[in-house]
Amino acid sequence: MIMFKTSRGRRLMADILTYIVLFTMTIFCLGPIVWMFLTSLKNEADIVTSQMQYIPRSITFQNYRAIWTQSNFPVLITNSFVVTAITVAICVATGTLAAYAFSRLSFRGRDRLMLSYLLVRMFPAVMVIIPLFVMMRTVGLVDSRFGLALAYTSFLLPLFVWMLKGFFDAAPKELESAARVDGSTRLGAMGRIILPLARNGLVASSVFIAIAAWNEFIFALMLTTGQGSRTWPVGLQLMVGEFQLPWGVLAAGGILSILPVVVLFAIVQRTMVQGLTAGAVKG
Amino acid sequence: MQITKREFLVATAALALASGVRSASAATAISYWHHFASQSEVAGLMKIIELFGKSHPDITVTQESIPNSEYMAKVSSAVVAGGRPDTGMVIAERFADLTAMGALTDISERVNGWKEKANLPENRWTGMSQDGAIYAVPAYAFVDWMYYRKDYFEEAGLSGPPKTFEEFVTACQKLTDPAKGRYAFGMRGGAGAFKYVIDVMEAFGSPIVKDGQAAIDKSAAVEAITFYSSLFLKDKVVPPSAPNDSYRQIMEGFRTGQTAMVWHHTGSLIEISAALKPGVQFATAPMPAGPKAHIARVAYAGNGIMKDDNIDAAWDWISFWGEKDAAIALLEATGYFPASTAALDDERIKSNPIYQAASQTLDFGRLPNSFVGAAGWSENVVNPSFQSVLTGQLTSEQAVDRMIEGLETALR
Amino acid sequence: MKSVLHRGPVAKLGDLSETRYWVYLLLFPSLILLLLVVAYPTLYGFVISVREMRLTRPALNGWVGARHYIAMMSDRVFWISLKNTAIWVTAAIAIEVTLGFIAAVALNRNVPGTKLFGVLILLPYFLPNVVAGHMWALLLDPRLGVINDLLVRIGVLSTYKAWFADPATALAATILVEAWHGFPFFALLFLAGLKGIPEDLYKAAAVDGAGPVRQFRLITVPMLRTVITAAVILRVISLVNSPDLLLVLTGGGPGNATQVLSLYAFQTAYREFNFGYAGALSVVMFVILMVFASLYIRFTQVTKE
Repeated sequence: MIMFKTSRGRRLMADILTYIVLFTMTIFCLGPIVWMFLTSLKNEADIVTSQMQYIPRSITFQNYRAIWTQSNFPVLITNSFVVTAITVAICVATGTLAAYAFSRLSFRGRDRLMLSYLLVRMFPAVMVIIPLFVMMRTVGLVDSRFGLALAYTSFLLPLFVWMLKGFFDAAPKELESAARVDGSTRLGAMGRIILPLARNGLVASSVFIAIAAWNEFIFALMLTTGQGSRTWPVGLQLMVGEFQLPWGVLAAGGILSILPVVVLFAIVQRTMVQGLTAGAVKG
Repeated sequence: MQITKREFLVATAALALASGVRSASAATAISYWHHFASQSEVAGLMKIIELFGKSHPDITVTQESIPNSEYMAKVSSAVVAGGRPDTGMVIAERFADLTAMGALTDISERVNGWKEKANLPENRWTGMSQDGAIYAVPAYAFVDWMYYRKDYFEEAGLSGPPKTFEEFVTACQKLTDPAKGRYAFGMRGGAGAFKYVIDVMEAFGSPIVKDGQAAIDKSAAVEAITFYSSLFLKDKVVPPSAPNDSYRQIMEGFRTGQTAMVWHHTGSLIEISAALKPGVQFATAPMPAGPKAHIARVAYAGNGIMKDDNIDAAWDWISFWGEKDAAIALLEATGYFPASTAALDDERIKSNPIYQAASQTLDFGRLPNSFVGAAGWSENVVNPSFQSVLTGQLTSEQAVDRMIEGLETALR
Repeated sequence: MKSVLHRGPVAKLGDLSETRYWVYLLLFPSLILLLLVVAYPTLYGFVISVREMRLTRPALNGWVGARHYIAMMSDRVFWISLKNTAIWVTAAIAIEVTLGFIAAVALNRNVPGTKLFGVLILLPYFLPNVVAGHMWALLLDPRLGVINDLLVRIGVLSTYKAWFADPATALAATILVEAWHGFPFFALLFLAGLKGIPEDLYKAAAVDGAGPVRQFRLITVPMLRTVITAAVILRVISLVNSPDLLLVLTGGGPGNATQVLSLYAFQTAYREFNFGYAGALSVVMFVILMVFASLYIRFTQVTKE
């Protein structure tokens, strides 16, 4: 086995192994999604059939048409979009400050406070929904996109803070002191030095939050109505009625769900991985 | 006459206010929660709203579709935390829970003074009444029946659909051919299985609840469960996926030709007709009779008032559903059987041989069991217990014990 | 130097940042938000757990003390749910961490085409739970499932198998779906972590004679410790608390084979309208998570810098 002896040979083996792993994983991940795509192009009769059709015998776009017209798709997507945007905005505005404090400043009870941020996530959504609903009614935020965004923030903010803290940790601690020696205020140090460095980490964390908000179902179901701020996942679940499960339409809905996310991810992918790399050196 | 600027403004404001007030009282807006989701159901609903708009131009109905499995979750949340709709859809199985939590308003007076009441005989109202007070207006009905593959029956040399459980078992054995991937009966063992489990228990002579007390007859119930589960365990005339098969799966089994018989109700007729030819490939028949009773459910569904703010408009809306035009519109769109006898006389029902089985069933059909906690007991106790029998984890006797225990807890 | 009177708002904020209250100012917005939105509902849940609140039996409502907790001890379904939750979470996390790690290592080698592979491998995480659930239900369907068809064609199965109808395979099948959906979360975080480890460390270790396995154990794992810990805790919380996937796939069946605590609480609340008991179940879940988190953090000693 001369291959293993030379370092170039070893590297080649490693590369081949890598490709095998990557290909296998891609099939594992992509397979079901490809099947979903094929299903979305089939007629109902070609899906509910005793003869499995791999390549659709006839392609139809009626499923996509059905989604667009029947489920009030444009409104739902807009609502999802707005709610996600607001959630990300609130999280970034409040969470960045907190993550900075946890990372760069030391104060008494810091660790305990950080853990307590995590604690708030631990209570199951089931029980939180009703009192949240009562609260929102009292302030008139029920069935509003802002209200839903606030609800999402409640359980996404800790996630955001924990992730972002890691990225702040990566920047060397001396940077602030250097800036202050030069006459900058702490605010200035934060704004001019640290934030730009952690910008990629910020993007990365925001993307995670955005995906979570975009896909959330239970809070959206309970806190919104169809005439108001109902979001996309609820619209999808609606298609699963008592007496029908239109596979083709549901599959089309699934494909349409991931498109915006994929586009967003492709755009930020480069900065995201770069951001994440800057984040994890010290943990 | 000279008017000052101020007088002019005041007058304009007054006029605006007056016209505003007038138009406000001219149009009442009411909200309506329902769980119609399929194309046909939504089309039917839209037609009814349209017809209603023509006869009641001063009322606007805002409809809100809620996923059926989450309907009660939303209603119960609204009861606890506020945000009730004016009106809401009520199906028989949920009625007891809805009244117990105070979700529906008593409408007895209005019903008794309603001119259409004559078209809705007593039995329609029983499922929508509690302690003599009426809480909802029935609009349509789900009549239990059996679909069977006429072509498979002819192939197997069977003259007609089975009328009793004994005939049913014989037919099952003749129609099953695992080599061809064919099973006689699409048993529902997943979500919703409890319905038929309870029906079979009653067919063997065991009541469920009497006077608010658990009244299951253990030996009859065990006999029933043993009979029903042996179709899967011993006779193997049921597809192996039964323990997880719910509505969608048994329908898919029937549509793809895997099964020859399936028990459901009139609500699924349109879906089956879209896949198989009525009268040629499939036909309908009343449910087979058990040794002690002939059980088939006729479940009336309708609408009730959940909030008293706009009670007059709300009443107009829910009572409209009982009128002939609305009932026929719904029938045409969805195939759902009307509750109103006036609508039942319609040609579309009388002349269609497929509906025969339902019309026959209306004569002997019973209302579903309705008691507080029925839904919880059915879904959380009966279902898993029966599934455990199918998977061999429990004996019939153990399962019945669990059901009795759960029922007593639920009724406490 | 500008006179104090003429300083703009930014400068004023800058002054503020010099005070000792800077930390609290930074923390204030998020703290307030969390307290407002989360504190009341959580308290409400705790309070409900010691009251009877059955919507359909208003007469029974009121203070009942620890009755729900006592009843829970003899509740057969509770213990099954607890066991299933433990199995489900442990297995899912184990698979997700492993797959995520393998993916991260493979992506980290940066062979040509990595960017494309990266996006494709991360796709499952982007789907909403609802869609992923229904999709896999179709893939594994005993009549329409393409995976069944493939398995039959290659001879592993003789007929289509009803994966979710057999209690022996139902839980495993749901774990598979969850792992498929969730491993990209770990893959992404691990990849980031890996990229942060300087190459020099590996080179130095190689010079010292350490093979790939020792390098892994002594360099990679310790450097990733914080990332792994945070990711695992977050994911465990998420898995314990959300019933979405199981609600769609099995509803807890067959015969409670896939019943987990979160689903049990959901059904108790919204099918039996027994909010008191559901509250008690939620408190139990909360306590379990808290205990787990503190033990785990202590075990990995992560908060020590």
